[in-house]
Amino acid sequence: MIKIEHLSKKFGDLEVLKDVTVEIKTGEVISIIGPSGTGKSTFLRCINLLDRPSGGSIRIDGVDILDPKSDVPKVRQKMNMVFQSFNLFFHLSVMDNLTIGPIKLLGMSKVDADRKAMDLLKLVGLAEKAESYPDELSGGQKQRVAIARCMAMDPKIILFDEPTSALDPTMVSEVLSVIRRLAKAGMTMAIVTHEMDFARDVSNRVLYMDDGVIYEVGTPEQIFDNPQKEKTRTFINRIRSFSYHIASPDYDLYAMNAEIETFCDKQILPVKTRQNLLLLVEEMLQIYNPLLSTVLLDINLAYSEKKESLEVVFESTGEAINMLDKSLLPDELGLTLIQSVTESIDYQRVNNKNRVTLILKKK
Amino acid sequence: MTIQTKKEATALIVTITGRMDAVTAPEYEKKFSELITAGETFFIVDFEQVDYISSAGLRVLLATAKKVKGVSGKILLANIKGGVKEVFDISGFGTLFPMHDSLASALSASGC
Repeated sequence: MIKIEHLSKKFGDLEVLKDVTVEIKTGEVISIIGPSGTGKSTFLRCINLLDRPSGGSIRIDGVDILDPKSDVPKVRQKMNMVFQSFNLFFHLSVMDNLTIGPIKLLGMSKVDADRKAMDLLKLVGLAEKAESYPDELSGGQKQRVAIARCMAMDPKIILFDEPTSALDPTMVSEVLSVIRRLAKAGMTMAIVTHEMDFARDVSNRVLYMDDGVIYEVGTPEQIFDNPQKEKTRTFINRIRSFSYHIASPDYDLYAMNAEIETFCDKQILPVKTRQNLLLLVEEMLQIYNPLLSTVLLDINLAYSEKKESLEVVFESTGEAINMLDKSLLPDELGLTLIQSVTESIDYQRVNNKNRVTLILKKK
Repeated sequence: MTIQTKKEATALIVTITGRMDAVTAPEYEKKFSELITAGETFFIVDFEQVDYISSAGLRVLLATAKKVKGVSGKILLANIKGGVKEVFDISGFGTLFPMHDSLASALSASGC
């Protein structure tokens, strides 16, 4: 359906896309993941010609859309884009947002356009908001309207550019469930996303982009569970885990807490879990405090989606010592709190380091 | 973190706002010491605005309670809720300190 070969894009001297070659087949759902600033959104914008590529070719059903003779507005009608910031017409009602394109560009009658718009609003669960204005809707509702508006143009493919990034975490799932429904219905889609669980679930293929190229392509299982290449492995590992290095007793607890909270946000962990996690980390650090002027301490958090468990590892240099050994503690207050929020605690001496592994209780 | 105090008959109501953790604990301990040195003996600590407590916060309360006992005073806690209450319960501190659901209840129990 879409065949992209050697696509490149430069902004002045900055080469954002270097040499992108990929084919998207009808009915495929492709997720595009990767670090920020690696060209994912530019790639989508180039496919839709919102940014003019600097080189390469894009063929849709055999037609080279970069050919100066090709009819760009017509090409754009075949694909439609959902933006991070919704891009609704704020002066138009929800209904008019959905019908303006079909009436003006496809020549559809108002009656037909209204009927189709209502069907699509039902599909995204917003029929009752037909006469509302975008400002009266929540972020999640706005994005669902934006998706319905895309569908109103009968596109062959929808390009999603981080459709949930601007949303409050509570609204992410309502938008993702609409996209899932479209995927089930066989819609061809390319989705730039940071929602890894979603990308894993919904995609046929995942493209990992890094530094302006498609660095690795694979099934969701390959990319998320068994990435073959180094950068993909590092990226996947990092989004599932968090590390903090402490080299002095004067560490900044609040800076660390803020980073832990960001990690919890990314994993969409419940408030109770994050409270328990912050308590666990602080209590552990209190216990390690006497050592911190002489040893290096690494804290690693890893969330396993499959097991829905959060593992916290404290690894310290220095001679073999289990800091949670009751006989070494002045009292058991901290340990009691740690035990109350964990389901297991394990000490091991590994590679000349002391490793304490704690699994947080699920509830 | 902030500490506000208000005299109510013989009791000093100490309202704490924010976190009682390893960072703020030394300041709380210092403040309580100053109040005891200034002659206060009877404290009601209001936890309504406290959203987090760790062992460092509990230790401050324990140290303060010891000092208060040394001057034949007493310390009551009020409005302990949610995650903070859980920490009190797990640590056994819930049984060490008289806890009240409201300031009014703490004041009436104290005979003020």
